[in-house]
Amino acid sequence: MEETKWEPKVVGFLCHWCSYAGADLSGSARLEYPHNIRIIRIPCSGRVDPMFILRALQNGVDGVIVSGCHPGDCHYQSGNFHARRKFAVIRRLLDYVGIEPERVQFSWVAASEGPKMAQVINEFVEGVRKVGPNRLFKDERRDGE
Amino acid sequence: MGNKKIKKDQLNTLFNELSKDCSVLVPTRSKGYIGFDLWDENNGDFIGWYKNTTIPLKANFFPKVEDMFRFNKGEGGYEIKEILPEEESQIIFGVRPCDARALKIIGTLFADTYKDPYFLKRRENAILIGLGCNEPCDTCFCASMGASPGESQDVDLLCTDMGDELLFETVSKKGEDLLSNMRGLSDSSDGDSSKAKELREAANNKIQRKIDTSNLKEKMRANFENREYWENVSMKCMSCGICTYVCPTCHCFDIHDENNKKDGLRVRNWDSCKFPLFTRMPMENPRHEKWRRVRQRYHHKFEYYDMNFGVIACTGCGRCIRECPVNVDVTQIITGIQSL
Amino acid sequence: MENRLKEEAGKLLKEGKVDYIVGYGKGSVKFRTSPLITNKEEELENLVINPFIANNLSRYPIELKARVGIVVKGCDSRSLISLIQDKKVNREDVVILGVPCEGVVDIKKIEKHIGKDIDQIEEIKREGENLTIQANGSNQTLSFKDAIFDKCLGCEYPTPLEYDVLLGTEISPKPDMEKSLMRIKELENMDATDRWSYWREEFSKCIRCYGCKNVCPACFCERCFIDVNIPQWVNTYATWQDNLVFQLIRTLHVAGRCSDCGECERACPVGIPLRSLQRKMVEEVKDLFDYEAGVDKDALPVFTHYEDTDPEEFIK
Repeated sequence: MEETKWEPKVVGFLCHWCSYAGADLSGSARLEYPHNIRIIRIPCSGRVDPMFILRALQNGVDGVIVSGCHPGDCHYQSGNFHARRKFAVIRRLLDYVGIEPERVQFSWVAASEGPKMAQVINEFVEGVRKVGPNRLFKDERRDGE
Repeated sequence: MGNKKIKKDQLNTLFNELSKDCSVLVPTRSKGYIGFDLWDENNGDFIGWYKNTTIPLKANFFPKVEDMFRFNKGEGGYEIKEILPEEESQIIFGVRPCDARALKIIGTLFADTYKDPYFLKRRENAILIGLGCNEPCDTCFCASMGASPGESQDVDLLCTDMGDELLFETVSKKGEDLLSNMRGLSDSSDGDSSKAKELREAANNKIQRKIDTSNLKEKMRANFENREYWENVSMKCMSCGICTYVCPTCHCFDIHDENNKKDGLRVRNWDSCKFPLFTRMPMENPRHEKWRRVRQRYHHKFEYYDMNFGVIACTGCGRCIRECPVNVDVTQIITGIQSL
Repeated sequence: MENRLKEEAGKLLKEGKVDYIVGYGKGSVKFRTSPLITNKEEELENLVINPFIANNLSRYPIELKARVGIVVKGCDSRSLISLIQDKKVNREDVVILGVPCEGVVDIKKIEKHIGKDIDQIEEIKREGENLTIQANGSNQTLSFKDAIFDKCLGCEYPTPLEYDVLLGTEISPKPDMEKSLMRIKELENMDATDRWSYWREEFSKCIRCYGCKNVCPACFCERCFIDVNIPQWVNTYATWQDNLVFQLIRTLHVAGRCSDCGECERACPVGIPLRSLQRKMVEEVKDLFDYEAGVDKDALPVFTHYEDTDPEEFIK
């Protein structure tokens, strides 16, 4: 049997107003970004609870990227400012318990920034590829190996 | 067959010998709490410090989480693949009389109309070697619960700490067979037996905490609606599950399905009547208020279990008193009811 | 102090200023106290203040939904202030009876130091900077600092920050951060993979009793995410993965509210070093936003507001 090469699988939580539209734009502009990302649209980056990120990692995705509007551009005025505070502590805690920092990324991408979106996803997926498959939550008992 | 004894410094040799044929579990504290774990040369020192485990013996037979079966939806309906505990036999050494008794008490339930294969299989494959308490804890009240710190009929072999030696006495057939196969033991004398008896009596007299269980069922029933009393005693309760999870007789569980498209795994895990969610139903929660939940726990132990199986589901191990973060004390609650 | 407390508490009840007094009573186990919640004057006789008042009582006013006279130590006062900041408790509804606290005795530390268990200890007496411990008939001396909880060693607010009555005199803080944060520093110096295995091991012990969450004054949600089953965010059964994820989420939810009262770790029956998670977040919140939980009742809780200048160098 042909050996299948491991490809990272990452989840993107993109805010409806900016980053999701940004990803859409990069698509309509025929810019290429890796198919490794599965995008979940959220109303605002402020909606992201740490449990989204942790559950995604627990369920086996190799990386999580959260993207919202640039500071000052939030459709709800301050959602991303609040999110920024949360993200800062989430990052510190994940580092502390030993989750590779490459697996979780936050970024600001506007609706007009199609190329940036493609670039951000590209770089992120490459970063995840470098740290390898997510085995953090693997359980010998249930998942074998 | 007569009783035997062994020098304490020979214990590790004995465990080594026994662990060739089956797994031997002894009390360990390396993990930050005391529990039964596989014996090795480095953890055979428990005789010096061991009082009782933090997590009760029940966890070895009714684990906190357990896979029950896998299921798969095929063409012709569901296929079920049972996951039963391994057949391997194990010897658990250092079981305290209260815990052995508790295991017997919940054993009645697990072997009632519905025979629980998981519990029963493990129980069948286990040999319990009891270790009588010479120095009961400040929190023990086993003497009030129809037991005694140094004696047990619910183990297979019973050990008594005689200072330099351990005395082995047979209690069951299983124990007798095991004892006759154990090497490195010497015969004990009548003097040893009477010394052990004295030690047990002394231990029994050391128990300070007492409750009165006479007419308790009736008394509890009469005060079921005594909201004031229950509100009062439950005031400080934090509604966590510590008392139920460290209890050797609490046996409530919940069942979950882990679904993955067509395949799934059914899991069961401990649950606690102290959690508000325990009885939550779509429209209401009959035990929404804390006092009702606290009342439930004591009524179940001291009244309902007695009604169903003729025995109180408490053996006086005192773990709930010791581990409760706010020091809710079952002996105070029962004494309170008796004085109503 | 004890007599003054009884007197003040009695006055509060008698004058009808509060409906309940929440303080410490004698425990039913040696060297422990137990929360005493009462509306009866005659029970106030049982109030105690001693070096064993470990519980953080500030959770009770939320539940009692009444006017409460409450006894707090320095760390507890911060929890209470934090609850006032979050509008879970009205400042007008509590009469705060502050206890200046030099540290709470951790009986497990004493057991370890003297190599005897609690049943063998007959008496613990404070004599200046030392404790005299009588066990099995013989006396041993132990420095008071060696017998108190790690969190107390690094205490920066031994005197309650908010009170109506201060029982005793203010104590000046003498935090020994190095000792108090030793375990966290050790963890920080480990490899990421070792840290992950460390927490994995620790959380495989977890039995999901939720003692940590239920004693925590910062865990005040009426319905915790763990109790939500549509969708089921985290499995309720105790696999190490779910245990760890549960605790990490909880840690993040209470970050910025945690006053390092250490109740979670004290309550944990299987000895998971939870404070090493919670206290780490206290440090991080301070570092990132220059904010400390519960030091100013008029300040906005850290995650309910923001500054334009908040750190964002990690955002790409």
